[in-house]
Amino acid sequence: MPLRTSSKGSSRVNIETVARLLTIRNSPILLRLPPFVSALCLVVGIAWLFILPLNEYSRQTYVSENAILPGQVHTYFGGSEHNVFRAYRHEVYQMAQWSQADRLAAIEGIMRDIGLKSARQPYRYTVAGEDIQGTNVYALLQGPRADATEAMVLMAAWRNFDGEINHSGVALALTMARYFKRWSIWSKDIIILIPADSTYGSEAWVSAYHSTATEVTAWRNVSELSIKAGALQAAVAIDYPVGPWGHRFDKLDILYDGINGALPNLDLLNTAVSIASGQMGIGCSIHGVAAHSDSYQDRLKTLARGVMTQSAGHATGPHSAFMPYHVDAITLKTVGDGWHDEMSLGRTTESIFRSINNLLEHLHQSFFFYILLNANRFVSIGNYLPAAMLMAGNFTIAALALWLQSGRAPMTPTTKPADTASKLDGLQLEKVKLGDAVVLVPIQATKPMIRHLFLPVLAALAVHLFGVLPLKALVSLHRDYLTLSLQAIALASYLLPSLLSILLVRTLSASTQQIQILQSLSLLLLSAVLATLATLNFSLAFVVGVLAWPLAFVRPLFNPFAASMTLTSTNLHRSLLLAGQLLVTALYLALSPATVLYILTRYFDTSVQWTLLEMAKAWQIQGVYTALVVWAIWWPAWIVGGVVLTSSAWKPRS
Amino acid sequence: MKLATLLSLPAALAALVIASTTPSGDYNEHLHLKPLPGGHLYAGFNFTATTSLHDYDSQHFRYFPRSLAQILQHSHTRELHLRFALGRWDEESWGSRPRDGRREGGTGVELWAWVEGDGDAGVVDERWSSLVNSLSGLFCASLNFIDGTKTTRPVLSFEPEGVHRESDGRLELLHGTLPHEVVCTENLTPFLKLLPCKGKAGISSLLDGHKVFDATWQTMSIDVRPVCHRTAPREHDIDLVDTVVSSNVTTAPFQGGSNITHVQNILRYAADLTLQSNHSITQHYTLADDGSYLGPFEDEDCHLEIQQTVDMVLDIERSMRPRDDPIPRPPPIEQLECDAGKSYNSHDTCYPKPREGHRGWSLSRVFGQSVKGNCHLDGDKDQAQKYDVSLEVPLGRRTVDIPPATSITQSDFDDLEDVRQYRLPSDSQDFDLTLPHQPVPQPPPARQEQLPPLYASRQITGYGQERGSMHTTLRNPHSYAQRVVYLESLPWFLRPYMHTLKVEGHGSDSLPRLEKMYYTPSIDRQRGTQLELLLEIPAQSTVEMTYDFEKAVLRYTEYPPDANRGFDVAPAVIRVLPLHHNTTTKTNSSESRLLASGQGQYLRTTSLLLPLPTPDFSMPYNVIILTSTVIALGFGSIFNLLVRQFVLVEEVPTSPLAEKVRAVVARVREAVSELRPVVLARLKSVREGVGSAKGGGGGGDVQEPMSDGVGANGGLKPDGKGR
Repeated sequence: MPLRTSSKGSSRVNIETVARLLTIRNSPILLRLPPFVSALCLVVGIAWLFILPLNEYSRQTYVSENAILPGQVHTYFGGSEHNVFRAYRHEVYQMAQWSQADRLAAIEGIMRDIGLKSARQPYRYTVAGEDIQGTNVYALLQGPRADATEAMVLMAAWRNFDGEINHSGVALALTMARYFKRWSIWSKDIIILIPADSTYGSEAWVSAYHSTATEVTAWRNVSELSIKAGALQAAVAIDYPVGPWGHRFDKLDILYDGINGALPNLDLLNTAVSIASGQMGIGCSIHGVAAHSDSYQDRLKTLARGVMTQSAGHATGPHSAFMPYHVDAITLKTVGDGWHDEMSLGRTTESIFRSINNLLEHLHQSFFFYILLNANRFVSIGNYLPAAMLMAGNFTIAALALWLQSGRAPMTPTTKPADTASKLDGLQLEKVKLGDAVVLVPIQATKPMIRHLFLPVLAALAVHLFGVLPLKALVSLHRDYLTLSLQAIALASYLLPSLLSILLVRTLSASTQQIQILQSLSLLLLSAVLATLATLNFSLAFVVGVLAWPLAFVRPLFNPFAASMTLTSTNLHRSLLLAGQLLVTALYLALSPATVLYILTRYFDTSVQWTLLEMAKAWQIQGVYTALVVWAIWWPAWIVGGVVLTSSAWKPRS
Repeated sequence: MKLATLLSLPAALAALVIASTTPSGDYNEHLHLKPLPGGHLYAGFNFTATTSLHDYDSQHFRYFPRSLAQILQHSHTRELHLRFALGRWDEESWGSRPRDGRREGGTGVELWAWVEGDGDAGVVDERWSSLVNSLSGLFCASLNFIDGTKTTRPVLSFEPEGVHRESDGRLELLHGTLPHEVVCTENLTPFLKLLPCKGKAGISSLLDGHKVFDATWQTMSIDVRPVCHRTAPREHDIDLVDTVVSSNVTTAPFQGGSNITHVQNILRYAADLTLQSNHSITQHYTLADDGSYLGPFEDEDCHLEIQQTVDMVLDIERSMRPRDDPIPRPPPIEQLECDAGKSYNSHDTCYPKPREGHRGWSLSRVFGQSVKGNCHLDGDKDQAQKYDVSLEVPLGRRTVDIPPATSITQSDFDDLEDVRQYRLPSDSQDFDLTLPHQPVPQPPPARQEQLPPLYASRQITGYGQERGSMHTTLRNPHSYAQRVVYLESLPWFLRPYMHTLKVEGHGSDSLPRLEKMYYTPSIDRQRGTQLELLLEIPAQSTVEMTYDFEKAVLRYTEYPPDANRGFDVAPAVIRVLPLHHNTTTKTNSSESRLLASGQGQYLRTTSLLLPLPTPDFSMPYNVIILTSTVIALGFGSIFNLLVRQFVLVEEVPTSPLAEKVRAVVARVREAVSELRPVVLARLKSVREGVGSAKGGGGGGDVQEPMSDGVGANGGLKPDGKGR
């Protein structure tokens, strides 16, 4: 370092360096700029998302893997298969009235008649006092050209994601199986899977597929699979819950969100879209935006829905459970009234399977991280990631600024200096001797402050560990107590900051510096976690970043009735300050995790209990980590922010 | 005239030579057909040629393919087994495997051979390498990729099928597999070229690449082994007998009274076989306990036999599609058989009736052509009893139409109840078999499909890029315990954790017994793992075997072009050992004797696909690397700036440790300086005492007082010690 040059060297250089260093130390840029930079990051980060729908920042989708050749084959599903399909649909309709055992036997009977090997898999989950059980039926079509190393899955859940019985979907899957059996082109095995339920059935099946033996625990009892094929390459689910008299649909809604916001390879989606719209003439929609005019508003709406779904991280269909196992999967859901019938859907499925069958390697060529704006327009990770990174950067900058501040002696001029001369008088000056040169500098500028780290580190750790409590409570309590426990958590989180700051400031006599360090550490952790999370689940990181924005700007409230204030300000001034501070506190409380949860359930018109139950089930069964991020990352950071906010109020009067 | 004589001379000479030293040898071929449940047809082709060892050594070949023989001679290979396989045998619906699974291989290519060594370690490897490289060229397969990492030396799994002379030297068994090799027509063509009739006549004319490789399961094998006969050539060809014995013995058929003659008949063949194989085992491999040792064979008793087989299971419906319209379009509505019993049955709704009765088929439609002529090379003499085609369908319940050609003889299937045998016409007529469609629903077969010796499945479980686990399930459906040799050869980039190996039994009180284990750990890039287990599986129980493994990270250049497909792991080879006399389950002695005769039965699991961590070999990969580098640089310098405290040199606080050390030094120095006058005074007095006693001189440097040179740092210690 230049400063370490021997004092016998050129003293001129040294003086210049010292002067420069001192300038930097006192530079208003370092002292005052960070909050503005932070705010800029925040604003730019949010604004970033709004420019993504523009043509300049998004791209037309394209099929990247050459082997797929979507829509290059002629599809033959039709003719007399339609008669068979209608019969199977009647069968499925009849089965819906039967008991579960009869239904399973009937489905297996059809599969055996087709000439496939079939098997069942009962499963049972017990979460929050709720029993989820069912039995999956599946059959294996051994590909004539296959050597049992690869397989693809055709799925039709018995009940679709909305809970309706998937009459036509199941019938179509069975008809397709019968039709596929005659072809000799399959180079991968085909598994026909009828999960009992769209979320947990497929989860039970795919988890058993990838495990050796399943341990029975109090809350999870999933049987092993008696028939297995090789590595799963892709899965396609059909959601077509139309009864025995049929219903023509208008569009295919393609569902693609996986657990924890994992997405299938874009090639699979593109294949489905290009086959459906290019080959079959069926329009495709994303996220239920059926009437998509490709305008900025519609694109933004699709993007917003995508971000919301992805950030929630829950399952969106039977395909979702496959994503954590690196199996690309989508659901084709029929929507609207139109003129496309089940045969068009069947031909689409046939063509998709022919394309997957063409694959020589596991889908890897195209994007795994993308945001869709409509069925054939996407934003790649390079374009959208900066938004989440800016959100995380905002907290980093705030944390670094706080760290710098904590290392400075407080500049406390007792009176406001009138002019420069008296300003100099007010400061204590110190002689700094360097070789034969002497400089006069203010004493605060050169005095290094020792940071007392022990208490802040301990406090930050404790608060973050404490986050396990609400998480544990909300995922393991009985469902009747879930609402109550959320209320308790909400109340506790309103009180906890004050209590903690009393503990820290009064009992443990933490200094202002230590409070600053505490906040800095907490923000550093938050930013690091968000930046990491952004590479896994962009939307969750972004949404948490947006909701946690005040944490970067929280500073201790100052007591308007403190001694120093009473001397200088008028009553009006003080009451205005008080009002302002109350407003800040109210805003702060409104952005607590529990409150936000309440607001969100109100906005989406769902019950709090249902939401909490779904979160508990998702965490327990599918390993959705949204709850963890909320309660172990965001909530502790929010609590620390509250401690900072209230710290000055409990400062003992000196 | 003169020219003609001149020209005819060499021909005459050649004829003379041939006439005088006609290579002895034999060739026969056989096709076994058997419909299997689920609309499948099993077709087993068998081509056997022999040559005497004498002719082989002197390079006289008649039926034995010269190209292969020269490779074997060059590489000093005494016994060779080569397999090409595709697809899966469905044990649950098709029962036990044909030929006891001894003529089939794992998916891809499998090769094992006994190579003669001369004591040098490297010689066998060299010969093996030359063998695989030559075979690679001969069969248009990537056999040359069987290198050290793919070669194993199994201990228990294989035993020589042939009789080896003592003079052959020390034989070593080497085994290699290529699970990724896709078997196709380019392998079939050289295979057919080895046959005397080259696929132009006889049953081999049915072997057409389109049909063979459209099969649901297909395996081609080539086995070369020396065999020795004590007596004149037997009346029946060995492999027919072999097949008959194995396929009838492996069931537990000896219960009914009606089968008595049948059993006796088999016993007659089997005793013949037993003698022979027992002998071979006794001579070199001390497994047999029969004691029927007949003395060493003479050289002229011995022949070199090449057996080529093609076994396949065809989907009858798929195979009978016309070649000009192979697309399985939905049939016209009128052809659809509807279940009229359904309430919703109407003109547009049709529940398809499950197919009943036997599907009609014929050789010419299933194989796309009928058998062209015959391949009876020795003429008709001495071959009256030999049949070319046998068909195993329930007798009396299934009508079979054969063309009314006089030269076709239908055997009097006296002893083998359900087998009809046919001999190809001796003139070059075409031969076809037609089984018409029989709509009458058949009563369920009285006899269960023969139970396979064992059900085996092997899977890779787990997910992610780092670890995985192997899960093998072996199920013994029989009422007696079975001993099994389980061989796994794993590629080096799959690193098993042997401490996690668990063998667990289910469904039986007695536990599976792990009798022996041979394990050769892998060496990165040089050798794969070889694991061989000798297990006893209790009656009617399931054994689960699991172990965890780690996936290696390969070097950038070691990835194949299709890196994201994953890497193939060779199938496990399972050998079910024949029952012994002294096993706990005491059965009928003749039966156990029969079962003890063979080498046991073989089965193989499917091959596996192992996904390895794969770098993204594309543009984003470069972008990520570049960005990461930039970020790392930026982060490094910012981090450096942040954690560093900038102070002036003068400001640098002295470390408390250094202070303490300095204080200690100072104290020591003080103590020393206090002590010094005292010591000096003492020394002086002593020296004076000594000097007065002995006279001075000599020790001038001893009493020289140390210059107060306690060095800046290290001087203290020696100084202190010195005093």
